[in-house]
Amino acid sequence: MTVSLTHYLVLAAILFCLGIYGAVTRKNAIGILMSLELVFNAVNINFVAAARWQTGGGSPGQLFALFVIAAAAAESVLGLAIILAIYRRRVIVNADEMDLMKN
Amino acid sequence: MAGMILFYALGALLLLSAALVVTVKNIFHAALYLALALFAVAAIYVMLGAYFLAAIQVLVYIGAVVVLAIFVINLTRTVTGAPVTLSRRWVIPAALVSALTACLIVIALLRSTDLSGPPQPAAADTARIGRDLLGQWVLPFELVSVLLLSSLIAAIAIVGKDREEER
Repeated sequence: MTVSLTHYLVLAAILFCLGIYGAVTRKNAIGILMSLELVFNAVNINFVAAARWQTGGGSPGQLFALFVIAAAAAESVLGLAIILAIYRRRVIVNADEMDLMKN
Repeated sequence: MAGMILFYALGALLLLSAALVVTVKNIFHAALYLALALFAVAAIYVMLGAYFLAAIQVLVYIGAVVVLAIFVINLTRTVTGAPVTLSRRWVIPAALVSALTACLIVIALLRSTDLSGPPQPAAADTARIGRDLLGQWVLPFELVSVLLLSSLIAAIAIVGKDREEER
């Protein structure tokens, strides 16, 4: 018995749902960002595994994973910059207390 | 058979550390468990033959993103001193929704029969990725460089603004 594509897809599905759970339950904005990184990694595992099973070796799957990593790095930098800017103005890091634009 | 044992060991390590990332109380420990989870993902890339991607994963995610997150945690934690907790209200609905979503995807995967075949003999190697990146996929490659530059400028503009006003 060898490792099949289904194994990788099931692993990625469970990782994705763990990330969603973290993004909903975390109060801390940095925790939400870290949970989103788990979601991105689940998607990347799907891309790379599907590329391995694609006829002809499949470099597009790996290239898409590379682009996702670059976009996730940009998202993480901007998210952390916004958290730091809000923390400097009002000393909060919890996402449900960030209501500066509410009124 | 050895591949199967390795897959289950890495998968258990990945899911365990990911579960600790989303449940552990201390946000600093969560960042360290995130580094462990990302390292397990890099090991899974190695199992899939994507060596270049595994190196990029270690360099960019563990080397940059996790270190940046730890920097921001340390910058924001010192003054508040408040313990980082989960919002208790949403634990049960969130667990229910994510567990049901996982069940849905897993059942759909297990019912599709044409996924159990053997993999292709070899994954795309680094030379092929480089050729494709600068050949067929050169436009998204350049767009990513513009995205990274604009996010760099935006991050400096967002964080550096207050200091300008104080002057």
